[in-house]
Amino acid sequence: MKLNKYFKKSLWVFHLNTGSCNGCDIEIVAGLTPRYDLERFGIKLVGSPKHADVLLVTGPVTEKMADRVKRVYEQVPDPKAVIVVGTCGTSGGVFHNSYILRGSVDKLIPVDVYVPGCPVRPENIINGVLQAWVKLEKLRESMKAVPVE
Amino acid sequence: MIGLLETGSGFWSAIIWVITVLVIGYVVIYIRNKGEDSYKKDSEQVKPFISGNPEGSKEGSHLSASHIYWGFTEALKGYYKPLIKMHTGNINDYSSWIVTVTVIVLIIIGVS
Repeated sequence: MKLNKYFKKSLWVFHLNTGSCNGCDIEIVAGLTPRYDLERFGIKLVGSPKHADVLLVTGPVTEKMADRVKRVYEQVPDPKAVIVVGTCGTSGGVFHNSYILRGSVDKLIPVDVYVPGCPVRPENIINGVLQAWVKLEKLRESMKAVPVE
Repeated sequence: MIGLLETGSGFWSAIIWVITVLVIGYVVIYIRNKGEDSYKKDSEQVKPFISGNPEGSKEGSHLSASHIYWGFTEALKGYYKPLIKMHTGNINDYSSWIVTVTVIVLIIIGVS
């Protein structure tokens, strides 16, 4: 059964913590627990960006993580979408003027969906993932029209 | 050559081998073609994922044979360290060790 036209294949997500306090990370895990159970829709976390469709980033980007964020983003195969979960990744949050920060995630890589909150509710994360999914399927359709060289 | 060769304990047929290789080759190529082919060559997508860290040089990441028994040497470090010091590479030192140990053994034998 198709829920809608965008649910064509499972969505695999790679979670990257770029300096989060773990508040948002716990809420992501909550989205996988039986109460929300995202895996029943085929949405699951994977251990490598090479297997992922979506890069889910939590936390502001610290100086140490700046190069790593870019590298991990480049390792996600195309088409890909980036979701930033939490206020810190969106704007720097309470750490915005910290000497140790490079800044928000979108200063380093292109971001498709922002899910603000401190921490974010699992419902909001699910909503963000669905928005990324819709965007990704549209991207896939456009890539089919123009084959990759 | 092409026909069936009876060996007494079985048979050998080149045709069966050729067919087997072709079938396995077809299955391998089929599975390979089902894989992801949209990755960008000459980009980070072809490099290994090491938690976001850059890939080290092949020489730097080489595992030598001594790494296999690293735990063994680490556990017996207290025993190996003085032994390594004794390995001076000087033949006079080794000769003196032989003479010393021989003397000790002879004394023990003589006493007992």
